[in-house]
Amino acid sequence: MNFDVGVVASYWLVLLKGLGLTIAFTGGCALLGSLLGFVLSLLRMSPSQWVKAPTWLYVELFRGTPLLIQLFWIFFCFPVVFRLPIPPYLSVIISLTLYMTAITSETFRGALKSISAEQHDACIALSLPPQVKIVHVIFPQALLRAIPPLLSNVISLFKESALISSVGVADLMYVGQSISNATARPLEFLTTVGIIYFVVAFPLTRLVGLIETRFLRRFAY
Amino acid sequence: MGYQFDFSFLQGSVEALLKGLRVTLELALAANVMGLVLGFVLCLLVMSRWQIVRWPAQLFIEFFRCTPALLQIVWFFYCIPMMVDYFIDPIAMGVLALGLNLTAFNAEAYRAGVQAVPREHLDACVALGLKPWQRTLFVVLPQALRSALPVLMTNGIGTLQQSALVAIVAVADLMYVAKSLATEAYRPLETYTVVALIYFALSLPVSRLVHMIERRQDAVVQR
Repeated sequence: MNFDVGVVASYWLVLLKGLGLTIAFTGGCALLGSLLGFVLSLLRMSPSQWVKAPTWLYVELFRGTPLLIQLFWIFFCFPVVFRLPIPPYLSVIISLTLYMTAITSETFRGALKSISAEQHDACIALSLPPQVKIVHVIFPQALLRAIPPLLSNVISLFKESALISSVGVADLMYVGQSISNATARPLEFLTTVGIIYFVVAFPLTRLVGLIETRFLRRFAY
Repeated sequence: MGYQFDFSFLQGSVEALLKGLRVTLELALAANVMGLVLGFVLCLLVMSRWQIVRWPAQLFIEFFRCTPALLQIVWFFYCIPMMVDYFIDPIAMGVLALGLNLTAFNAEAYRAGVQAVPREHLDACVALGLKPWQRTLFVVLPQALRSALPVLMTNGIGTLQQSALVAIVAVADLMYVAKSLATEAYRPLETYTVVALIYFALSLPVSRLVHMIERRQDAVVQR
């Protein structure tokens, strides 16, 4: 067995393109999913059972089944159920967004819950109306605290997005696998792809730690 | 919605599904045992006094945490046999890939638990003349295990779900059976729905249990 790094060099542009697609999908779905997740977390706090139960079921369903099966389900079943031919790109965006929505709604819920009871009491003591309390007291603190876990969610979405290769979207994983099949050099290419993922994800995980220790200490507590 | 659901064709494939389920459970359980044991060992290595031990262990963790699980599995299936020039049983390989992935995540979970062991307990171990291995095994491990339990269990369910990825490298787990049934019968909707519900039914009780344990731990802390 010989490890030949030279082969990888001639394919770097293709790999970079794959990485671009991976980042585009991750970024887009993370943004959409975070917004929807925030709305969902508010719905989950609702006093009505009729709102709470379906949102609970949604979150548990998406967290309790493999993302791969969600991808396949939407990829194969949306066209059949809704009689709408949707391109793979769109079905992938839908499934990643739905998944991200489920996990971020939990993050926001945790952040909203972490606001201590004293804050709520203080709002009553100051006789703030509910909307002022929510917009000016609860949200700013909760959103700041949600930043590190939210970023972790984005990192895990970045990693999970490798699954979209299995429905034929040409992301980094797909590109890496097809080159390694075509050149019969899995060792070099799969390792390279791994390193690329690592190089993107690792600084982000450090950033999460940095935000937690530096930024939040100063502003949110 | 003009689609007619028809689950009847699945009656003939109950056996195939159960077989797949068994492989999935085997994979998930074996990987969890591996992750629980090696995770604690790795956690100790990361907290070691010597840089030369700490560094590679940390690198191992970061590599598994910062690359996609799918890539790890594909890498293991293609590259390990090439490197050692020996064919390894696919299921054993799946367990190895999933187990090492879980090991990295569990090591992080244990770490918080180990750090939370009060200084006094360690002093007490010295006073009682316990050997280092006794201290680790009988004093540190039980406490770390207890406080890390919710995270360990959540990681465990995560591995159950990640185990679906081995279908991509053609290990005949539940997901793989689902894929082949769906293409055979031209009924992906029913097949994937049923299989998704099976995974859901496996994870839901555990995630409920995690909630319960977390609530009890919170209650203890508040007291």
